[in-house]
Amino acid sequence: MQRLRLRPITIYGLNTALTFIVTFLIFSIFTPDHLFLDPRNLASMAKLTPDIGVVALGIGILMIAGEFDLSIASIIPFCSYIFTQLIMSGIEPVLAFILVFPIGATFGLINGLLVVSTGLPSFIITLSTMLFWKGLLFGLSHQMPISILKYVSDSSIEKILVGQVGPFPVQILWFLLFAVVLGLMLHQSKFGNWIYATGSNQEAARAMGISVRTVKTVCYMIIGVLCAWVAVMQSVRLGSFAATQGIGFELKTIAAVVVGGVALTGGVGSMLGIVLGIFIIRIVENGLILLQVPVFGVELFIGVAVVVFVLLNGFVNRRMARLNS
Amino acid sequence: MKKKYGLFLLSILMVLSMLLSACQQPTEEAASGGEATGGSPAAGQYYRLVTHGGDDPFWAVVQQGMRDACAELGCDADIDLAGGDLANQQKKFEEAVASKPDGIAVVINDDTAWDKPVEDALAAGIPVIGINNDDTQGVAGNARLGYIGQSERRAGYMMAFKVFSEAEAAGVDMANAHVAMFAEVPGAAYAQVRSAGVKDAMEEFGITSFELADAGGLEMTTVESRMTDYLVAHPETTFLMGAGGICTDRLMSALQAAGKEKNEVWAAGFDAAPGTVEGLKEGYVTNSIDQQQYLQGYMAVYVLYLYNKYGLMPNIDTGGYLITAENLGLIEELSGTYR
Repeated sequence: MQRLRLRPITIYGLNTALTFIVTFLIFSIFTPDHLFLDPRNLASMAKLTPDIGVVALGIGILMIAGEFDLSIASIIPFCSYIFTQLIMSGIEPVLAFILVFPIGATFGLINGLLVVSTGLPSFIITLSTMLFWKGLLFGLSHQMPISILKYVSDSSIEKILVGQVGPFPVQILWFLLFAVVLGLMLHQSKFGNWIYATGSNQEAARAMGISVRTVKTVCYMIIGVLCAWVAVMQSVRLGSFAATQGIGFELKTIAAVVVGGVALTGGVGSMLGIVLGIFIIRIVENGLILLQVPVFGVELFIGVAVVVFVLLNGFVNRRMARLNS
Repeated sequence: MKKKYGLFLLSILMVLSMLLSACQQPTEEAASGGEATGGSPAAGQYYRLVTHGGDDPFWAVVQQGMRDACAELGCDADIDLAGGDLANQQKKFEEAVASKPDGIAVVINDDTAWDKPVEDALAAGIPVIGINNDDTQGVAGNARLGYIGQSERRAGYMMAFKVFSEAEAAGVDMANAHVAMFAEVPGAAYAQVRSAGVKDAMEEFGITSFELADAGGLEMTTVESRMTDYLVAHPETTFLMGAGGICTDRLMSALQAAGKEKNEVWAAGFDAAPGTVEGLKEGYVTNSIDQQQYLQGYMAVYVLYLYNKYGLMPNIDTGGYLITAENLGLIEELSGTYR
C-alpha cells in the first residue's frame, strides 16, 4: 500500500477561523452594552451548544468520508429512552450511562452496514432508519415524557455530565475534549488519512488497499456513541426523557459543519473548521437575538449565513485546489 | 453479494417493524371483542382522532385518554399526528373518512380549511366532532357536531390574569411592564388565540408592551437557548410566558441561565410537563393552565360512542384548570402520564 502523508490541520480551517473571529468581534462590539460578552450569555452558550456540538463533530467526520447521517434525530431520543428505562429499573445512573454507549454504537453499526452493503445513498438509508427508529420509539414510549429528576438530582452522573468546573459548565469541557481526541484521530492518524481518502475518491482509496467499508462503518459507529453521550447528557440536564430530544439536529449539524468548511461532496474539512462552524452558527443565532432582531428573523439570517459561508468555503477550496495543482 | 446482504438486512428490519407493529396493538385489539358484551359495549366500533400534533408529550396524554376509553368501551381507535402540517393533516382526515370509522374527532386549527372536509364527512354519514382547537366562530364557522377542548382565548386570559394579579400585588409597575410569550409554532392557532387571551388580560392591567416570540420548534435545547438569549437581550422583560407545554417546561431553566431570581421575571404558561412542575415547586413559575388534554382523548371516544347510541352531543370545556404550587399534589404524581 502506498504510504500516505499524514495530514496536518489544514489551511481549509483557516478561512473558517477568520470568519469565527470576525463574527465574534462583530457581536462583541455591536450588541447593546456588549451583552454578547456578558458572563451569563457566554455560560449559557457553553452549557447548551455541546448538545448539538458533540454530535456535529461526528457528522463532520462522516461527511469528510463522503456520507450523511440523518438518523441522529431518532438515535438521540431512543438512547435517552433506554437510559431512562435502565435507571428506572434500578440500575445505578453511571452504570446505565456506560451501558448506553454500546447501544449507540449498535445504531451506528446498523447504519454503516446498510450503507456499505446496499450501495444506496446514505441520505436515503439514514432517512429510512431515522423514521424506523422514530416509529419504534413511538411504539415503545407512546411519546410520554418521563421525569428522572429523582434519580439524577444531586447524583454523581449530574456532576460528571452537567456540573461546573470553576466558571465553566462541564459540558463545554467535554465538547472540547471530544474535539481534541477526534481531531487527533482525523489529522494525526492513519485512520484519519483513510477518512480523507475515502471521501476524496473511494475507488482510488480501495485501489490503495483502504477498506472503505470499514472506514465508513466506524464513522457511523462514532456518531452512534456520540449520540448516546448527548442523549444522556441532555436527559440529565432536562431531568426527563422527552421524545422531542434531537428534533432538527440532523439538518442543523449539517449546516454547522458545512459552515465550518466541510464539503458536501466529501474529502474536505478539518476538525478546527467543524468546531468553529458549530460556534459560528450558535454565535450568529445568539448575537442576532442580543441585537434585538425580531426572533422570527433569526432563522432567515441563519439561512443566509449558511449560504454565504458555503459559497465562501467553496471559493477558498477551489483556489486551494488550483494552488496545489 | 454485497447487495444481497444489504437486501437481507433491509428485509429483517421490515419484518421486525411489522412484528413490533403487531405487538403495539394489544391494547386496542384486546379491548375489541367479537360480540358486544356488558364489558365491551362498543365492541367492533372504530374511531379516529385526526390531530396536528407531533412528537411533543402533550399528545401522548391525549392518546392515553383515547386508549383508556377504548379499553373501557371495548372499541378500537387510532390517533393521527400530522406534525403541525395542515396539508398532511387534511390528507390523514381523508384517509380516516375512507376507512369508514364510526366517528372522527378532528383538531380544527384553521377557520376555513376544515369547512368542506367536515361537511363531506358528515354527508357520508360519519359523525365528526372537534377536539383541542375549534373554529374561532364555533358552530357558526364549522359544521362539526360538537367540541371538546379548552377555550384557548379564555385559557390565555386566565393564565395571564393570575400571574398579573400576583405581580401587581407584589408591587410590580404594570404600566411599564413588558410581556414576552414564546411559542413553539408562533403561527399556529393555539399560539395566536392564547396570546389574544393574554392581551385581553393585559388590557385590564394597563400593560401595553407585548412580543410573541419564536421558540424555534419542539426541540428543548433550542427552546431554552432562545428564551435565555431573549432574557439577556431584553432586561426590561417583566413577564415570560410559554404558549405551549414545551416552552413552559423550559421557563425555569431559561430564567436561571439568564441569572434571574424568583419573581424577578414572572413566569407562567400551559400544561404540566415535568419541567413545569419543578418550576412551580421551586417558585420560578407562578402558575400554569392545564387543559386536561387527557379528557380530550377520553371524552372524544365516549362522546362519539354515545352519539351513535343515543344521539347525545355535548360540548365539553376541558380546560382552564389553574395549577399553582399550592395545588400541585396529584398533578405532580401524574405529570407526563394523565396530566
